[in-house]
Amino acid sequence: MNELIYNLAVWLDDTEWSRMLHESYYMYNWVESTHVLTLMVSLGMLFLIDLRMLGLALPDVPASRIAERLNVPMLIGFAVMFITGTLLFYAVPVRTSQSLWFRIKMGLLVACAVNAFLFHKRMNESVATWDIEPRAPSRIRLGAMLSLTFWSIVVVCGRFIAYDWFDCDTSPNTLIDIVSGCVDGQTRF
Amino acid sequence: MNAVILTSYPRTLTVVAVLLTLLMLAYGGAMDAVYPSLLGVFEWLETTWFGVIGKTWGAAFAFVEAVHLLGLALLGGCVLAGDGRLLGVVLTDVPVQTVVERTHRVFVCGLSICLATGIFMACGVATKIYYLPVYWFKMLALSAGMLFHFQVRRPLLGHDIQNLNPVVVKMVAVASLLVWFMVAATGRWIGFSG
Repeated sequence: MNELIYNLAVWLDDTEWSRMLHESYYMYNWVESTHVLTLMVSLGMLFLIDLRMLGLALPDVPASRIAERLNVPMLIGFAVMFITGTLLFYAVPVRTSQSLWFRIKMGLLVACAVNAFLFHKRMNESVATWDIEPRAPSRIRLGAMLSLTFWSIVVVCGRFIAYDWFDCDTSPNTLIDIVSGCVDGQTRF
Repeated sequence: MNAVILTSYPRTLTVVAVLLTLLMLAYGGAMDAVYPSLLGVFEWLETTWFGVIGKTWGAAFAFVEAVHLLGLALLGGCVLAGDGRLLGVVLTDVPVQTVVERTHRVFVCGLSICLATGIFMACGVATKIYYLPVYWFKMLALSAGMLFHFQVRRPLLGHDIQNLNPVVVKMVAVASLLVWFMVAATGRWIGFSG
């Protein structure tokens, strides 16, 4: 599996556009800046929704209204983050696909998606009974807490990707090499 | 007419005066005189606990960077929700006063996180950022943002919004969005500089 991912990453790395994006100082930085700054839209809205469920923000506004109205800008933000994130991966595919932090981040993004699905499902089922309460029921609050925790770790992992502590060409730790997907005899890093 | 402007917008005019003074200091001869003496302060910052931790433990610095981003997300979310409401693009069925007032506490929380983590990070790379023009632009933008938020936007929106000129309200929202975007963008650019 790791070899397959590595070969795919090498193939991407060999494409003209990947090299151009990686070597373009301004374009790469613009894409990265957009990825980071869009946090304010996507996570900013998400945090407000989660904090509303916990009773820490906008407690006197119906919870369903906050969730519905902020969902659209939040999803627009996530769409931009997905596009710019894909471009960032495409610019540095080998190193990124073998980054321990990137792998944890991807796992957590799946967890975030599952949590969001369950959160909305549970909320839609019961919101009529607690919509104007300052705090949501404990099950919903748990979902909000998990969302805040997962996304915070996603941001930490995203930030850590920039550092080379556990890169395949520098890490002396076998276990981390396995988790990172380092391939024996690989020539590209 | 001049008297009306002077009496209606004293805080705005004070903020404009402070910002103009800062700009004159930044681009006039005064900054050239003050700038060299600040190097000692920045060198000292690197010797503080924050500076030593930031320089010694890369992981601690990176973690604080991530918390800085989380604070920025919180701050940005409040700015976008509040100013978006003033512009009539988000939460349009929630009263303006409610959105502005209820997001303020969260905004202060986000700003506090950003300031605390920002001071830590600045200590770790103090002698580097001292030489970066973009760092000084960010400080200028941050000063403008905080002055604008606490001295102009908040007092103005403390009044009954129905009685305010809608154009002024929208201008406040646009100015707020621009100034906080500038703070975030210049902050991001520090990472690419030096």
